[in-house]
Amino acid sequence: MKPKVAFFSFTSCEGCQLMFLNLEDELLNLLGAVEIVKFREAMKEVTSDEYDVAFIEGSITTHSDIERIKSIREKTKILVAFGACATIGGINAIKNFQPLEDVRKYVYGERWDFYDTVPTMQVDQVVKVDAAIHGCPVSKKEMLEVITSLLLGKTPNIPDYPVCVECKLAENVCVFDKGMMCLGPVTRAGCGALCPSYGNKCIGCRGLITDPNTNAQKDLLEEKGLSVAEVLKEFRMFDGLSEVSK
Amino acid sequence: MLPKIIKKDDLRAFVEALLAENVVVAPTKKGIKYAFAEVDSFDEVALDYNITMLSPRKYFYPQNETVLKFKLGEKPSAEAVVESAPKIIFGMHPCDVAATWLLDVVFAEDPADPNYLSKRKKAVIIGMNCAKPCDEFSFCKDMKSYNATAGFDLMLTDLGDKYFVEVGTEAGEALLVAGAQASEASADDLKALQEWQNGKEKSFVNRIPYDTKFLPEILGASDDSLVWEAIARKCLSCGSCNTTCPTCYCFTVRDEVASNLVDGERKRIWDSCQLDEFAEVAGGENFRKARSARLRHRFNRKGKWLLERYGKSGCVGCGRCDRNCLVKISSVEVYTQLAGERAK
Amino acid sequence: MTVKEKNTPQAGSIFQPTIGKIVAAKMLTAKEKYFRVVLEGGKPLGQKPGQFVEISVFGAGEAPISICSSPTQEDSFEMCVRNVGSVTNLMHQMEAGATLGMRGPYGNGFDMEAMKGHDVLFVAGGLGLAPARGVIKYVLDKRRDYGDVTILYGARNPSELLFKEDLSEWEARPDCAFHITVDRPDDAWKGNKGVITTLFRHVKVDPSKTYAVIIGPPVMYKYAILEALSMGIPESRILCSLERRMKCGVGKCGHCQIGNVYVCKEGPVFSYAQIKRLREGI
Repeated sequence: MKPKVAFFSFTSCEGCQLMFLNLEDELLNLLGAVEIVKFREAMKEVTSDEYDVAFIEGSITTHSDIERIKSIREKTKILVAFGACATIGGINAIKNFQPLEDVRKYVYGERWDFYDTVPTMQVDQVVKVDAAIHGCPVSKKEMLEVITSLLLGKTPNIPDYPVCVECKLAENVCVFDKGMMCLGPVTRAGCGALCPSYGNKCIGCRGLITDPNTNAQKDLLEEKGLSVAEVLKEFRMFDGLSEVSK
Repeated sequence: MLPKIIKKDDLRAFVEALLAENVVVAPTKKGIKYAFAEVDSFDEVALDYNITMLSPRKYFYPQNETVLKFKLGEKPSAEAVVESAPKIIFGMHPCDVAATWLLDVVFAEDPADPNYLSKRKKAVIIGMNCAKPCDEFSFCKDMKSYNATAGFDLMLTDLGDKYFVEVGTEAGEALLVAGAQASEASADDLKALQEWQNGKEKSFVNRIPYDTKFLPEILGASDDSLVWEAIARKCLSCGSCNTTCPTCYCFTVRDEVASNLVDGERKRIWDSCQLDEFAEVAGGENFRKARSARLRHRFNRKGKWLLERYGKSGCVGCGRCDRNCLVKISSVEVYTQLAGERAK
Repeated sequence: MTVKEKNTPQAGSIFQPTIGKIVAAKMLTAKEKYFRVVLEGGKPLGQKPGQFVEISVFGAGEAPISICSSPTQEDSFEMCVRNVGSVTNLMHQMEAGATLGMRGPYGNGFDMEAMKGHDVLFVAGGLGLAPARGVIKYVLDKRRDYGDVTILYGARNPSELLFKEDLSEWEARPDCAFHITVDRPDDAWKGNKGVITTLFRHVKVDPSKTYAVIIGPPVMYKYAILEALSMGIPESRILCSLERRMKCGVGKCGHCQIGNVYVCKEGPVFSYAQIKRLREGI
């Protein structure tokens, strides 16, 4: 029997699910190997409420999110955090550095007290996560790696080394040599150093590697002219939930 | 084989003759830096480049190379992939020539690696001698690789109005005969080369305050030095020293399966001993968890172990490691610090 | 003119696996599974005791696995695999009839010629019994070539004991001494309790003609070597087999390097005389 796969959205832009739909050629192959039972962005009907694999996009930001993710977890064999909002909190975690009441007033205006909110959490702060697909948005290549690995029953190859490795292999001019700042030295690779390859800096969307030398990275950014506050701002854009942003 | 002379103005014609029938890779401008790349015309060649971000090792030992194709299923099958194509590598500097020579020895050691050797054997190396160091990071004089003695097919030295061409191999000579208006070098030309060489000796300076023949001995006595811990404090373990090093050749192997779940490829990908997982075994034990141990490992490979194992230095002093280190860990400084009193 | 096509090397790729067929597979414990493999065409692996193979599970990759059978068994070879990673996890799902890729045998193995005429003291801890078993079986198959044989085996608890049939056989054999211990006995356990070094008090060796073969988890080596040295066995005759990460098995990929030594080529078998100079050895 084909594994039942479902997609769920939490607080996010749903762009990662769009990346899945963008798989195009591969999509047909994958649809032959799995049965998609829930996918709001692609289909209306819901054909099962038990899932072999559930892809969770988005962060947990409300009390009802907490209940909902717990209930999905109970019905799911393999739960995959899908994209930066789910794996590291991502952009949504910026609000954690402001009083939540201010955030609600700013976002919802007059009837702000009508809307519930909790500090942003990544999915594995609430339920057990079996696999993670990093990035904002997720990369096609890594999405395929995780999906094919799940289907083959093997552990996916998710890099745990910094973006610098892939950036050097691509023979890019170092972002720092161009007088810009970069989070590449402490950010998890797997994107193929996409942003630096196109002239931008790495903004850390894939989260930190397991053993980053964040003190050295902070010293480096300060030496290059950033203030402590600016250094924190760099990290807090995506890595607000990590130690380094505290 | 006897040295030859190509007039300055004839170099364009020579390179164009090479281009007409061969794939030629040469140093090219890439942003504010240089990179070896395939060229279509002489004008793309950055003859006055100082150093490329990566050495031309990428043409023999690609960053990401398919080494096996396999099919999954009831009866899995697998066929090794060994791909190679003839290439001319134009404009290689002596340090990169020396580094390539080391890799030749490493990959030829039993069991020989045809993925490297087949590409290498189909390549012709036309070197370009350096008159001055690339920049303040070069320590090729210390590592004795600033002059190329062998390992090239042709080596060009710019003598002003002409190039002095050392001929290293018959393949190089054949290219020269067929594609260039080359003449025999005269006694005057040899004298001019000698004068050029005298000038070169002056413009390259030693930066390490002792003869690097003592380096293996110094490293051998430095296992317990706190220097490793001192540099570990600032090391980002980003691997840039390895990934840009012309003599680094460690790799990891990864399988990739297509979405049809049948076709797959096994890839060999450059790896770095500075990365956290490099020495970790299945089950989680990591034999070089500490950054300091990883750094000690790299410096020993560069300054001691490869030399002892293969008879060629693992460091050619090109300075790419130091140049690319964001936190300014300097090989020259480390070697100097470790030497203690010998430095005087 | 074009660059002449110079001779390309004829030697095969170092990455080309041979296909092997699993002819027997069974769980030995909750975490370890046994496999017997026959190579394509039934040709013998031709290994030396102590060598290893790189096993391919296509799609997942390769893993170095020690051979736990003796080369005196020519028609097939055996492995005992702990489920610790992607490759071994998929191997655990394989049963008789399945095929896998194999490269090797690799590594130096034990110098069985040099050990001839000597007494041999085997010290195996945990999964270390797997590589040790290949050597033990070889010595017992060529029993007359070797002197006294003593086998010490330690496991964490009775449920983790490997190769129980072999253990009973060794226990019953009059021509070898066998001692076993577990760290954490259960109620049914009647034998020795404690770590493997506690078994050394049961053993008397003549250090002038004894080889110690010590294979176990990293934490065991230091203490077991210390016991062997205390018995007076010379450093050069205390032999260990080390485990490292390996990607190629042929001295290129750099992962298994300790000091200036490649475990896959110069090892995995080292004497203590060699290991003591390797800073990250044990």
